[in-house]
Amino acid sequence: MSFVIRRIAFYLVAFVVAATINFILPRLMPGNPIDVLFAQQATTLPAEARQALIETFGFASGPLHLQFLDYMKSVFTGDLGYSIRFYPQTVNQVLAYAFPWTLLLAGTATLLAFCVGSIIGTYAAWRRGGLLDAVATPTSLALQATPAVVIALTALFIFGVALRWLPTGYAFNPSLDPGWTWAFISSVFIHGLMPVFSLMIVFVGGYLVTMRNNMIGQLGEDHVTMGLAKGLTDKRVQFNYAARNALLPSVTSLGLTLGAILGGSLVTEVVFNYPGLGQTLYLGIVTRDYPLIQGQLLIMTFATLLANLAVDLLYVFLDPRLRRA
Amino acid sequence: MFETLKVFLRNRKALIGLIIVLLYVAVAVFGPLILNLDPMQRVGRPHQGPSPEEWFGTTRMGRDVFAQVIYGTRTSLAVGFFAGTIIVLIGTCLGIAAGYFGGWIDEVITFFTNVVLVIPQLPLLLVIAAFMGQTSPVVIAIIIGLTSWAWGARVTRSQTLTLRNREYILASELIGERPTRMIFVELLPNLLSIIGFNFIGSVTYTIITQATLEFLGLGNPMSVSWGTMLYHAQNTSAITIGAWWEVLVPALAVAGIGVGLSLLNFGVDEISNPRLRTLGTVAAAVRAQKKLDQQRLAETNA
Repeated sequence: MSFVIRRIAFYLVAFVVAATINFILPRLMPGNPIDVLFAQQATTLPAEARQALIETFGFASGPLHLQFLDYMKSVFTGDLGYSIRFYPQTVNQVLAYAFPWTLLLAGTATLLAFCVGSIIGTYAAWRRGGLLDAVATPTSLALQATPAVVIALTALFIFGVALRWLPTGYAFNPSLDPGWTWAFISSVFIHGLMPVFSLMIVFVGGYLVTMRNNMIGQLGEDHVTMGLAKGLTDKRVQFNYAARNALLPSVTSLGLTLGAILGGSLVTEVVFNYPGLGQTLYLGIVTRDYPLIQGQLLIMTFATLLANLAVDLLYVFLDPRLRRA
Repeated sequence: MFETLKVFLRNRKALIGLIIVLLYVAVAVFGPLILNLDPMQRVGRPHQGPSPEEWFGTTRMGRDVFAQVIYGTRTSLAVGFFAGTIIVLIGTCLGIAAGYFGGWIDEVITFFTNVVLVIPQLPLLLVIAAFMGQTSPVVIAIIIGLTSWAWGARVTRSQTLTLRNREYILASELIGERPTRMIFVELLPNLLSIIGFNFIGSVTYTIITQATLEFLGLGNPMSVSWGTMLYHAQNTSAITIGAWWEVLVPALAVAGIGVGLSLLNFGVDEISNPRLRTLGTVAAAVRAQKKLDQQRLAETNA
């Protein structure tokens, strides 16, 4: 139990660091930070909204340490201020609308990439030097080194523009009303295919190579030889003896790569005009909507830390040694 | 030295990777000199397809895509190598310090490294770059360098820890060698492969990230790089109107150097850890072994 508590304390500190970066950055810029923050929209933003933003970011209180405490209070009470691009909506409202789409996109892609990558990696290591290994391993290396932009743009061009098989933008057909109807769900599914698969392709290689290399390490261990010597079936040795242990480092990397996946999702959403955090953020960047840009750093850090915590809990389940400690 | 090089070149992945990377470096260094053409100059009508005059077509602004991608190679590689150097310098210093000195120094550095590691990179870079305004390639290189060293620091630290427990280190300590000599003469040479690995990985990461940041509109649109090319293409809806060359050319350029660098890295990894090898190298090893066996057999028979 103390393991979990230690991890939670650590994640809390990490979150405070991310929030501190948000606090320091506008104050490091030359000139008056309030003007920097709201320079672009000074005229379009009503005075009371401007005042609310100044208070949220702690500029209203006197010395720096009081400003810091004030800002932290805003952050921990969930007040991220008003969005400048989407005024009169607050940053929370904007992010709350976009977040489910990103969760759907990044979540499905991660799950698919992890499962597909780990399974192929297991087989590639089991028949090392075989056909699957010779094809899948170099391919995944190449995919791993290809940026998400490139894969998304290529997919968009081939399946969206040249072949016209799949829609080129939006999360669902805009003429449909959102609801639990078959028409709406199938529309979401069709629109999600390209973003999900192009995001999955970027990350499947990493999981595949990690799993393959861990598996190869495991296959040289004594307990695997022992399992084979006992006359257990290949399947049992492969999955229960080797793969189960080889999965542990993969699960750790699952938590750590989540940040990268959210990053990849940002880009994929921009390419496919998908209404998630990335697309919203892109619109925010164009107009230098600082509260929104800062808000997304916090929410993405929060999501990553939660996922890491989930991985830690999963670890306790997968690794019996941690349960005793 | 020559032996190491021979082992290195026998690995097919490493060799192909090296050739690709050298090709890119050659284009980056000599391309603009040979071409001698301003990439921002209008050379034709907007969105013209590939032709004998403009090999890779023109952009919305009527600029030559071929010239842009050549100049872009220079920018992207320079940013990649510059940021890669920063990342390796910070990561190696912190990693060695944590691993060698241990104690509270290790505690502090490890804690700090882990914090940086769990904060999502791209969103963090977006916030910093957004405040910097329209960031030039040099600024992008610096902010990527200053935020991306954590992985390298962690790997270097764990490798230093294993080395720290070797007998030769203990022996040098008993002789009374000073810490500077221990670090630079005893530890650093044995960390070279990790440092090289870290460097190549960081260059790949930087090139990809720079392209992504610029694609999202956080670069200086007046500078010529693969990322700004993609940004302009996206902004002028090049794909939807069928100007595929404007997107495909920079996209392939980024993908190509990424593949080259990672093949190089994987090749290096395979050489230092032979168990990771795939078909080609395994088969080659089997063949070499057979030949050796036959030779021995012939010798014993004779």
